[in-house]
Amino acid sequence: MTPLSERQWSLLLAAGQRIVPPSHELDGEGQRRFRAIIAAALAERPAGVQRQIRLFLSLLRLAPLLRWAATFERLPASRQDSFLRWLQDDAPGRLRQGFWGLKTIVFMGYYGQAELAPRLGYAPSRTGNEKLHA
Amino acid sequence: MPEHSYDIVIIGSGAGGGAAAKELAPLCQDGARIAVLEWGPKLAEHEYTGREVEMAGKLYFDSGGVFTRERTMTLAFARAYGGSTVVYTGTSLMIPEGPVQRWGVPGLQWSDLRRRSMKYIRENNVHLLEEERLNDNNRLFFEACGKLGYRVEQFPVNLKGCQGSGMCNLGCPNAAKQGTHRVQLPAAEAAGVEVITNCKVQRIEERGVLRAVVEARPYGLPSAWEPGEHLVRARVVVVAGGAVHSPALLLRSGYGRHLPALGRYFTAHPALILVGEHPRPITNYHGHPKSFYCDHFADRGFLLETCMYFPFVTAKNLIGFGDDHARLMHRMDRLQMILVLALDPALPDNRVILDGDGEGVVEYRFSEQVLDALLESMKVSARIFFAAGAARVHAPAGEKFFIERAEQDRLDELITRRRLRPGRISIASAHLMGGCRMGAGPSDSVTDCWGQVHGVPWLFVADSSLFPNCAEINPYVTIMAFADRVAEAVRSRWREL
Repeated sequence: MTPLSERQWSLLLAAGQRIVPPSHELDGEGQRRFRAIIAAALAERPAGVQRQIRLFLSLLRLAPLLRWAATFERLPASRQDSFLRWLQDDAPGRLRQGFWGLKTIVFMGYYGQAELAPRLGYAPSRTGNEKLHA
Repeated sequence: MPEHSYDIVIIGSGAGGGAAAKELAPLCQDGARIAVLEWGPKLAEHEYTGREVEMAGKLYFDSGGVFTRERTMTLAFARAYGGSTVVYTGTSLMIPEGPVQRWGVPGLQWSDLRRRSMKYIRENNVHLLEEERLNDNNRLFFEACGKLGYRVEQFPVNLKGCQGSGMCNLGCPNAAKQGTHRVQLPAAEAAGVEVITNCKVQRIEERGVLRAVVEARPYGLPSAWEPGEHLVRARVVVVAGGAVHSPALLLRSGYGRHLPALGRYFTAHPALILVGEHPRPITNYHGHPKSFYCDHFADRGFLLETCMYFPFVTAKNLIGFGDDHARLMHRMDRLQMILVLALDPALPDNRVILDGDGEGVVEYRFSEQVLDALLESMKVSARIFFAAGAARVHAPAGEKFFIERAEQDRLDELITRRRLRPGRISIASAHLMGGCRMGAGPSDSVTDCWGQVHGVPWLFVADSSLFPNCAEINPYVTIMAFADRVAEAVRSRWREL
C-alpha cells in the first residue's frame, strides 16, 4: 500500500521540483523510481513518522493560503521558493524539522537513483584503483 | 516457544561483540556453549551491490538516519553480521594516552589498552596505503594542511586486497575491509561459536534469561533459528549492541532502577560534511575515501578527516536546495570533502532513554562549546579547500550557498554563528559512545573497569557504550581492546557463575 495519497504525491512532486529543479526533467521511468524509492523508505518508518509526514504535507499545501490566498501548488515558482526558504531558515522548530524531512525524502528519491549517477558526474567502479591514474 | 541454553551469550556482533566472540571461542574446546545473537542479517557476497539507498536500507538502522529526540542530529549505525564494522572505512587508530588518563577509571591503564589494541592492529592487517593508492581528494587535503602549517597524519586502515571501490560505507563489495565479519566472527564460528542472525534481544528477564525474537528478512542468509519468539538461557551475558541499543536493552530490563548513570553520558563526535568545488574534475570517488586526518585543532574541540560520500548522503548534508544545490550536486567529480568531528564532552543529560514502544532514543543537546567548535571547523576547512585550489566552498553556516575564492579573506563575516542552528544544518554522527560508562561505582557509572555491570556478576558490557567520555579518535580499535578486557574477565569467571 502506498503511504501517500495521490494528492500528497502530486504535492511532493511539486515541492520536489523546487528542491531539486532537475527532477522536472525525469522521464516516466525516473518518476516511477522516484516514487518507488520514497514509498519504500516511508513504508519502513513507524506509523507515527508516516503520520507526521502526511501532516506536514497538508500543512505545506495549506499554510500559504494565510499569506498568499493560494495553496502551495498554485503559487508561482518564486513564491514557492520563498515559502520553502522560510520553512528552512525561519520557521518554528517543528516546521523546520518537517521541511528537513521533506527535503531528505526528495533528495533520496532523486539522488538515490543509481541510474542518474552519470548526470551527477559520478561513475563509481568496484575497481576504482584502476581509474586513479588512467 | 523454543528454548535454547548456553554458557555464554553475546548480544551483538560488531567491533565489541565480534572481538569478544573470538576471544571466548577457545572455551568451546572445554565444552562451553557460546552464542552470538545479532539483530541484523548476514548478507551473501552478491548482495553487496554498492547501490547507495539499497545498501543503506539493508545494513543501517533507519537507512543510517536515526534521529535524536530533538531531531537535530542523525545517527548512523549498522545492524548486520559484523555490526558497524561492515560499514565503516576501516580507519584503525590507537587511542592516545591523554583521553584514557582524562577518563580516570580506576584500574584502567592506557598501557593495557595499548597492548590489546596492538593485537587487533596485527590481526586486522592494519597498514598505511601506498602513495599511489591515494586519490586527489586525499592528496589535496594533505598538501593544503602542509601549506597552512596544520599537523596532518595518514590513517592506518584494515584492508586486504582493497580495489578502491570507495564504497566502504555501503559494505565493501570486494570483501577487502577486515571487519569482524571477515576476521573475528568466522574464526569464532570455526571454533564452535554459534552466530544467530536476524535475532533481536528484547529483554533480559531474571538471571541470564533472555527473550528474543527472530525476524525473517527478504535479503541475507536465513537465520539459524526459525522466525518468532525464543527463550534463551545463559550463565553469562555479554551485551554488545552498541551505544544506543546496549543501554536501551538494560533500561528495558529494569537495570536503570539501581544504576542512575545507565543511558547517560552519551557522546557522539557530532559531524559535518563540508564541500569544496574545484574548477576541474579530481579523483575523489575512486580509491579509498579516507586517508588523512588533522588533529591540529583537537585542543579547540575538533578533528578534520578526509571523506567522500555518495550522492544522497552528500545532498542531504548540504544546506539549502534549488538551483545552487543542484548545480553543486551535478559536479560530484569536482568535489573535495572534509568530515569534521566535534569532540563533545560526556554530559549526564545527553542520554539514551526509552520511547513509548520501549525502543532506545537519544536525547542530545549541543553544548555551546561544541557549536563554537563546529563554527571554527567550517572556517578552517574553508581555508584548507582554498589552499588546495578550490574555486568555491559550501559551508552549512554560510551566509550564502557558495563562498567564492575571491571572498576567502572574509570567512569570519560569511560563516556565522547565527546560521549555525541545530535543526537547520545537517549534523550527523557515526561515533556513538557512552551510556553504559565504566567507572568506580554505581552512582556515576554502569560497569567496573572490566565491563561487569555493577552488582550483577553474570552481566557484562563490551562495546562503545563503555566509554566514559568521547574517544577523541575513530573508536573501533579501542572498542575491540575493551571487548578483549571483558573477554578476559569472562574467561576467568564463567565457570563459577
